[in-house]
Amino acid sequence: MSSSEKFRLLIDLWKRISVYEEVKPLIALIGLFIASAILSPHFLSPYNQRILLLQTAPLAMLALGESMIILMGSIDLSPGSVMALSGTVAAITFINYQQPLPIAILAGLATGALVGFINGLLVTKAKIPSFVATLAALVAGRGMVLILTGGQPIVGLTSFRIFTNEIIGIPVMVWIFILFTIINIFLLKRTSLGLKVYAIGGNEEAARYSGINADMIKLGIFTLAGTYYAIGGLMMNARLEVAYPWTGWGYELDAIASSVLGGIQLTGGAGSPLGPTLGAYILTLITNILILMGVNPYVQWVVKGAVLAIAATALTRGLKYVK
Amino acid sequence: MPKTNNKVVLETKNIVKKFPGVIALKGIDFNLYKGEVHALVGQNGAGKSTFVKILNGIYVADKGEIIINGKKVNIRKPIDAKRHGITLVHQEVTLIPYLSVAENIYMAKIPFTKSPFTRINKKVLEEFSEKYLGLLGIKIDPWIKVKELSVGEQQLVQIARALAENANIICLDEPTSALTPAEVERLFQIIRDLKKSGKSIIFITHHIDEVFRIADRVTILRDGEKIATLDVNKVKPLDVVKLMLGREPSRFYISREKKHIAKETPILMVKNLSTEPEKIRGIRLQNISFDLYKGEILGVVGLLGAGKTELGKALIGIEKIISGEIYIEGRKARIKSPSDALRYGIYYLPENRRTEGLVLLLTVRENIILSSIDRLARTLGLRSIDREKQIAIQWIKRLNIVTPSTETRAMNLSGGNQQKVVIAKALESRPKILVFDEPTMGIDIGTKVEIRKIISELATQGLSVILMSSDIDEILALSDRILILYKGRQVALLPNKDLTRDQLMDMISGGRQVFETPIFPTT
Repeated sequence: MSSSEKFRLLIDLWKRISVYEEVKPLIALIGLFIASAILSPHFLSPYNQRILLLQTAPLAMLALGESMIILMGSIDLSPGSVMALSGTVAAITFINYQQPLPIAILAGLATGALVGFINGLLVTKAKIPSFVATLAALVAGRGMVLILTGGQPIVGLTSFRIFTNEIIGIPVMVWIFILFTIINIFLLKRTSLGLKVYAIGGNEEAARYSGINADMIKLGIFTLAGTYYAIGGLMMNARLEVAYPWTGWGYELDAIASSVLGGIQLTGGAGSPLGPTLGAYILTLITNILILMGVNPYVQWVVKGAVLAIAATALTRGLKYVK
Repeated sequence: MPKTNNKVVLETKNIVKKFPGVIALKGIDFNLYKGEVHALVGQNGAGKSTFVKILNGIYVADKGEIIINGKKVNIRKPIDAKRHGITLVHQEVTLIPYLSVAENIYMAKIPFTKSPFTRINKKVLEEFSEKYLGLLGIKIDPWIKVKELSVGEQQLVQIARALAENANIICLDEPTSALTPAEVERLFQIIRDLKKSGKSIIFITHHIDEVFRIADRVTILRDGEKIATLDVNKVKPLDVVKLMLGREPSRFYISREKKHIAKETPILMVKNLSTEPEKIRGIRLQNISFDLYKGEILGVVGLLGAGKTELGKALIGIEKIISGEIYIEGRKARIKSPSDALRYGIYYLPENRRTEGLVLLLTVRENIILSSIDRLARTLGLRSIDREKQIAIQWIKRLNIVTPSTETRAMNLSGGNQQKVVIAKALESRPKILVFDEPTMGIDIGTKVEIRKIISELATQGLSVILMSSDIDEILALSDRILILYKGRQVALLPNKDLTRDQLMDMISGGRQVFETPIFPTT
């Protein structure tokens, strides 16, 4: 076999596997992982790998929630604030009101769901574009966190360690985000709700004409996403054992970036449900390796931005149809 | 027949264009005389639009030459084409909706203005736009926003903009598809004037009669190949159709046994329906009343702006109903949204397949089951992809949908096959009443016939059909009764018996009362 034939076979293989939406982010992830292992001797250490996964967990929850909203053709700017608010409410319920941990966790989840529900109402009933509605939630949510905490961190959240405890050597919160990734794949690809989400994102007009109650679906998905952000907030409480008022500041952009890195089309209607988790891991990995290499922290932002731009370019190449 | 000196202003040699998976143009040789109207005909997918898009720099040919006034030119962008005096009036509206008519027309001049700081004031805009609107003989307020205009008016503004570019070669891509007969007549007069002033026109159309009314020569494309270029004077319409189809056209309009209406409870009864348009210049339906029986096809005719689409959308709760009632099988129905309509068994198949009918990013399978997903899904909304595939395959076979597989995205199908997917989606929802809005518009003749057959068969099987169409012959061939609308009002509701094409034409254009049925004064 000549080398040109081998080359053609490789191209053939690539064409066949690249139809799967997960392939590009997966290759990026593996490539970055190998490069990082070469660049830093500490990267592969179990300690570092554990940190990496723990840091990925909350972002992955945010990305999973955000991606469902982006798939519907909307956008959510509130994940960072909702995450902080839910974490704060859980912490206050636990510390200030001396409630048992399960109650505190439920209070946190309910807070996230409520804010998501309000976002949904603003979009479907008040007919505010999701960008604006969730921008309002971003600002107001952070304000509420600062009011509740008085700007001071809430300490003493050691009980939240149940999230960082290990099962089969892997922290509970890592299991949680893996579980929710599987739930999302199932939800989006194997249930009627998922098809409706893709249909609304692909062409809301046609979806409505087809008899899909788009407002109801939006309301449900915004609420569900809010709950996902709340889980992210609880994870932050567990990881830091402190509820900081500025937790999740700027995380909405990381959540959107994770979705884009994972191949979710920002215009909605296309992308793999596995993508956001891969994107969140890639984003966290980049920060991790740059820290290990001792790069100036400010440079990290530039690198992240560059990676995002490159990834977005790679993902849109060859697309016939960009909305 | 161009009596002018047959000076060739535009020539192409061996134009080839490939798209992924398909060769759109297989070496087109073409020429255009000065002062000529040259019609370009062919079925959907024949390559007409692709060809003019290459002339206009929207696509770049893979091979071949474009020669203008004897000189080989390189056209890679629309502005290149405009510099060589070529322009294109698109089939779909390409105006900027939130700008005024005047600003949209002036847009034509902007690429040719030297300084980016050229002063543009109200007076300049008004004079410029009125000059070209005046050439078309249309009265449109130049300060109205384009989004407030009807599709027909927007099409005319597009033509005005093309004139404003001072092009010598004007390509019109199906310019008449959204126009009323009066507007078409005006357009043809404009084309004749342009011809006299030495401009050359490439005229793409689906309507063979238009070729014979306006064109000097006609070029027939089929599957990306040029079949022939003929003098219109020396050829008969049927010959052109034969060349387009590549076969003998059997029957374009299928005839069906007309249903005798029994004295039964109507499946649908609409009483004094009036609507409120969302847009200021939208169409207001006033006092529409009709009934529909099992197995019946009710044809709805009217010009653009008569309210056909609005009536269809009112039935599924999209148009706002301000008075009147809808009864389904004798019981009053409350329909606030398409999902309510779906529960009552009413399904509306929109005119705009791509924007309202299909989710183009989803597969053929997913589109087909989209309206039935709640019935098909098991507990917790769990889907069975295998079952969905089986259903999709059944419809693909039954409606003869041409698609590589059930997993092909809907955007990769041709217009006619997309329409069939919409029909499959509607039928899979098991409706009692189907509302077809222009089901055969913009589809090649072969598929048109197939879709007409499908509609006829559905009625025979006992489904009730409301058929809205601007194709009078289609209405006459298929309908049991005909509802005639004019500017949102009901002109007549007649049995399709002894009704001639001319009488119907007369009534839809707001003409006299022909029969003893109530006619409402038109304003």
